[in-house]
Amino acid sequence: MAGKIMKGGEFLIAESECQDIFTPEDFTDEQRAMAETTEQFVENEIIPHHDEIEGQNFEHVVEGMKKCGELGLLMMDAPEEEGGLELDKASSMLVGEKISTSGSFSVAYAAHTGIGTLPLIYYGTTEQKEKYLEKIITGEWCSAYCLTEPGSGSDALGAQASAVLSEDGKNYILNGTKQYITNGGFAELFTVFAKVDKQHFTAFLVEKSFAGLVVGNEEKKMGIKGSSTTQIILDNCQVPVENVLGEIGKGHKIAFNSLNIGRFKLGAGVTGASKMALGEGIRYANERKQFNRQISSFGAIQEKIADLTASIYASESLVYRLAGLLDDKIATIDKGVDDYYDQYLKAIEEYAPECGISKVFCSDVLAKTVDEVVQIHGGYGFCSEYPAERYYRDERINRIFEGTNEINRLLTSGMILKRAMKGELPLQAESMKAFESLMTPSFEDVDESIPFIAEKMTIQNLKTLFLILSGAGVQKYMDKLADEQEILMAASDIVIQIFAIESAVLRAEKIIDTLSPAKQEQLRAAVKVATFNATEVAASAAKKGAYMVEEGDALTMILSGVRRYTKYDASGLLEAKRTLAAAANDAEKYIF
Amino acid sequence: MKILVCIKQVPDMESRFKVNAAGNWYEETDLAWRMNEYDEYAVEQAVQLKQQVGDADLTVLCIGSDRVKETMKKALAMGCDRGFHIADDDSYLKDPFAIATLIAAYAKEQSFDLIFTGMQSQDRGSGQVGVLVAEMLGIPSLTTLVEFSYADGTVNAKRELEGGIKAKVSCATPALVTCQLGLNTPRYPTLPNIMKAKKKEMISTPVADLNPEASLLEVLQVTPPEKKGGGLILEGDPADLADQLIKLLKEKTTALA
Repeated sequence: MAGKIMKGGEFLIAESECQDIFTPEDFTDEQRAMAETTEQFVENEIIPHHDEIEGQNFEHVVEGMKKCGELGLLMMDAPEEEGGLELDKASSMLVGEKISTSGSFSVAYAAHTGIGTLPLIYYGTTEQKEKYLEKIITGEWCSAYCLTEPGSGSDALGAQASAVLSEDGKNYILNGTKQYITNGGFAELFTVFAKVDKQHFTAFLVEKSFAGLVVGNEEKKMGIKGSSTTQIILDNCQVPVENVLGEIGKGHKIAFNSLNIGRFKLGAGVTGASKMALGEGIRYANERKQFNRQISSFGAIQEKIADLTASIYASESLVYRLAGLLDDKIATIDKGVDDYYDQYLKAIEEYAPECGISKVFCSDVLAKTVDEVVQIHGGYGFCSEYPAERYYRDERINRIFEGTNEINRLLTSGMILKRAMKGELPLQAESMKAFESLMTPSFEDVDESIPFIAEKMTIQNLKTLFLILSGAGVQKYMDKLADEQEILMAASDIVIQIFAIESAVLRAEKIIDTLSPAKQEQLRAAVKVATFNATEVAASAAKKGAYMVEEGDALTMILSGVRRYTKYDASGLLEAKRTLAAAANDAEKYIF
Repeated sequence: MKILVCIKQVPDMESRFKVNAAGNWYEETDLAWRMNEYDEYAVEQAVQLKQQVGDADLTVLCIGSDRVKETMKKALAMGCDRGFHIADDDSYLKDPFAIATLIAAYAKEQSFDLIFTGMQSQDRGSGQVGVLVAEMLGIPSLTTLVEFSYADGTVNAKRELEGGIKAKVSCATPALVTCQLGLNTPRYPTLPNIMKAKKKEMISTPVADLNPEASLLEVLQVTPPEKKGGGLILEGDPADLADQLIKLLKEKTTALA
């Protein structure tokens, strides 16, 4: 548990201590056992049925979900009094990471345990939980979440589905069409959003058996083909009034809070998928010979493996740091209070910027990973016979669902700026200081005895740069900055990289003394490569942002700041990459 | 009924092994650890027996550093009732006789009706510990079991012999059995059981308290297997192939000399 609990977004203006962050090395024996159970489940129960599942033989998915239920993999978030385990987020993220190696099955699992179950847990009445929760956490019933419509995706509140109270006052009559419903083909319980009297956005618990619920055809998709994605058509669907979830007109809270949670869990899932794909790429590179040499012995391939290893290390560090932030915050809430889940969701909302970061950074890492893994396979990567081709297709949706990466980028910087404007984050004062630093020459007196000092100074500099740019943006556009999406996107790109490398560096600092000399060298190499790559991305975003916000002398000054604050001495980069690649090629998997 | 199951923590066999500095074992750093595969069959069978007889108390025993407790917790999560840990950072230096002495010293006091062990460990592979324990306790041992049943103080089992032959054997308890691949499919610990295992008793005893005896064997040297060269595939019509082969045999071997 952290000594000090940071606020959401506060990492941009405050320095975190490595002892205050959670890392994968902090997992308990129990958490590791859960991970092992999940891995064995995937290996023994799902992988053997992989082809049938990809062929949309959903019996195997439903059967797999029941087995998940028996193993307790569906009850992690459910309260103890309802038969659940109420485990921390680190545990559920770890299991989410391990289940992700099951491909399409993991999509069914994630939808069921995330958006399919959590609204009921957080907003359900005692009666509703008694009626449905046991069926859901045992896997007897699969669940789905119906928010999107043909005409409203990112603009979720623009939904057209309607709910009208019946004359006898016993039912709501739902009409409308819901789109891209994961698990639609076999779910028994649907959380459906519709507007009561065309204005009050509300969630309803709808059983498949209710008259008027029609399951549409399976969508033909690019990837995750073994997952069920259908329309759900509500044709005068009768839903008893006692199945209203939460309050009438408060559906948006349920919708957005569920998505927040979906985002950090997605970060964990894609991190697992990245590890799996990288392992496949390395094994192939070790096997494939060209010019009488394993292609893994070539620098061009080794660099890919090194870069991916470093990125995945950052992705993993970020995800579990966020898990720790959430768990520490949630642990401060008194369990006995009536509004426990209100406070609980507020705690999660506190870290909405970090949840967005997790979603974007980790899914971008997976995108890069599957792309390079196909590339390592050459022509074979383009053929369905090799799994690389499926990884490539399956990856794509992760940058679209749970809020597109664009929406998440906008939300991340948007929320941070909004909190600054409200005075919740002292961004403006810090921004003034940053401007001042821009105008004073730097006397960098580096204390080399501090571990990872070069990286820490780079992170500090990137934060200063973010403050300068956001300060300039706010000054120019004031509260209209939210409309300047290109600038918000650039700001987010800097924020995302800062959080990612800070997580990577703090984790390294926390664990390095516990490792063998060989592992220490690999860790230092990963930190170097990750910091270098992240700084380059942030520098490019900062430059773009500067040109978009300023002109003339002010621009010149900020650009000089970009140069000054994105310097990172990555001496030994080549050796670092070769160290990482050699270790990864030897282990034939992700090495941390 | 009192049941004991003895387990060992071994490295993940997919690890890359290196010989340690002393040259007498593998380097233990940077390895992932798990339960010895054969011991998983032993734990599973012991748990099944406990479930069958109902009134049974099942202890899991493991020797090693504190690191092995993680593996013991898995056995507890699979259904063992309590853990007995013999704390010994140098257990890898002990030979099967020394290890068996420790187990026997503990088991003697406890008078177990049945003791389960794996057929062998995946890292040392001596296959001796189980039978030595039985010998020291003066009880019968049935080894390499692929089938097991128990009723009224009698064990009926099938042993796997060479060439796929199986032997039916039977003995009265107290007895010791060693478990082979194919005996059962070990369960995975469920999440609720993993959490419950946290509350189960785990006693840790320093190895010195069990009056350890000196090893009878000493490992002189551990070396990795010699690297073999890759195969060579010859292509062409048979006559040409024969010529190529003779040329190779003459050049690279003494077969035709």
